[in-house]
Amino acid sequence: MFLSVGVRFEANVEALNMVETAGNYSKHRRVPYLVEEDGKLKTVYVPALSGENLAHAYQEHLAREALSLNLPVCDDCRRGEFYKSMNRVHLEKKVSPIPGEPAKIEEAIVKACVVEDVGGFLYAENPPVRRSSAFQVSYALPVKSMALFATSEPQLHARHAQMDSSSKKGNASEQMIYYVEIGTALYGFTFNLDLDAIGVSAITSEPILDENEIKARRDAAVKALFRMLSSAQFGAKLSRFFPVGGIKEVAVAVTEHPFVVTSPIYDDYILKTERRLKVLKDFGEDYLFTAATEDRVPEEALKETVEYLKQKGAL
Amino acid sequence: MIPLPFFLKATMRPAGIVAIRALPQSKMRIALRYVPPTTLIGAIAYPLLHIAGDRSETVYEEKTFRSSAGGVLELFDWVTVKTLGKPRIQGALLKINTIYRGNVQSAVTSFPFAVTYGTNDILITAVYLINEEALGRSSYTRKDIERAAWGITRLGSRESVVSVEDVETGRAEVAEAEMAKTAYAFPFNGVEVKGKGTLQSVVDWRSGIGDYSKAGRMVMFYPEESVEVRGRLRTIKVGEEVVVLAQ
Ligand SMILES: [Zn+2]
Repeated sequence: MFLSVGVRFEANVEALNMVETAGNYSKHRRVPYLVEEDGKLKTVYVPALSGENLAHAYQEHLAREALSLNLPVCDDCRRGEFYKSMNRVHLEKKVSPIPGEPAKIEEAIVKACVVEDVGGFLYAENPPVRRSSAFQVSYALPVKSMALFATSEPQLHARHAQMDSSSKKGNASEQMIYYVEIGTALYGFTFNLDLDAIGVSAITSEPILDENEIKARRDAAVKALFRMLSSAQFGAKLSRFFPVGGIKEVAVAVTEHPFVVTSPIYDDYILKTERRLKVLKDFGEDYLFTAATEDRVPEEALKETVEYLKQKGAL
Repeated sequence: MIPLPFFLKATMRPAGIVAIRALPQSKMRIALRYVPPTTLIGAIAYPLLHIAGDRSETVYEEKTFRSSAGGVLELFDWVTVKTLGKPRIQGALLKINTIYRGNVQSAVTSFPFAVTYGTNDILITAVYLINEEALGRSSYTRKDIERAAWGITRLGSRESVVSVEDVETGRAEVAEAEMAKTAYAFPFNGVEVKGKGTLQSVVDWRSGIGDYSKAGRMVMFYPEESVEVRGRLRTIKVGEEVVVLAQ
């Protein structure tokens, strides 16, 4: 089964994706928004969150959910360092001696770590072994109709140092001024999860784990996403820049085979997705569509999704 | 009479960013502005294999390995794409700090991609011309391929999520012509073009996909809106539109 979720969230005064520090300035990730006026292209830079950023947060949640279900997570992933068995040094922590066959290498990694099973890995040695991520995340971009209202601006902060009377004047700075660029926007992003990929070999197509463990891992994968959304625990600097706002809308499609909700950066995404899903009836395919907008909280839609997946025997 | 080939036309809405590396194995971070044919094949291969319950991505044959997408390659006689609107390549240089084995390191990086995000909607339409003989030999039906087209999830990297907004199917009329008007990308080989567009060197997918280090390349012309092409052309009509094929 395939899960596709469109999310709209409001984030005011956030520092969820910082990309660089230049001197005392830390900069928010920004992307150009193309404005076409009389055939001429103008760009306005708006704050954004990369898919990688969201993917990192998701995998941290996944590690936690997996551990709470007594499922294996390797030491690297447990610490949130997603090296993903990239070389011999990292793989040897899971399996030693390292097998020679690609399928055996994949099997060892998948068995040892839920994060690498779901999030994929690239073992860049000889032979190289690659497993694509079972989930995909788009950039979180300001919703198009409001992109021009999105802002990123620097906020001044001062860090104070302890006064030292013995030091000569000008020797130690008594305070340091720094800037953090904060963003404000109504963001939209898409998250896809291919539940059929979990616990199954990307080389032989055969299941690597028994059915119960596969179901438990799918459960962890779905819970991690929902936890990430309802707790708003994604992005950087949450300890000081926890954004004001929250999830405004979600739209969830569950289908037998891949199908993607229209990106929530477009205003008509719920309507469009619902209409397109009807086409699947021609293919004899069941699906679930559920959304939470004004009068429904996201958790209700997410709960409905879990119930549908259970009823379909996927969890 | 030559049977009319079956075509699929899938119209996609990007989620704002389309990241396609010009050289997948290279550290040279060059992004493509327009979608190359290999990406189009990969994009439809994923849902197609999913329908067949085939989860394989890599096929190992002793010391060589190929992408499983290669297994569905022969189902397509031709693939091409039209892009409504002009994406922009963006890739700011960024200074990043990383912690590696206990040491903080500073590095400069960039991650260029094509931006499809703006006041006007950018739509990407892919046309797949099906080889029905190969389809007949395969385990797939025409309905499977049509469902797969609705199931395209991304173009290129996993951040390049798209949604398929419409799928059109039909029979294509093949013709010879001296002049054609097209909005779809075509091989820039022995033709004259009147109109605006971008030339892009892409992997010739017909030589196999997966390992691009030795793959043949071809130059494709990606029109901006519609252009006039002259030469000894082989064209097909897909619905109301014209696609120029390779010689
Ligand atoms: Zn791991």
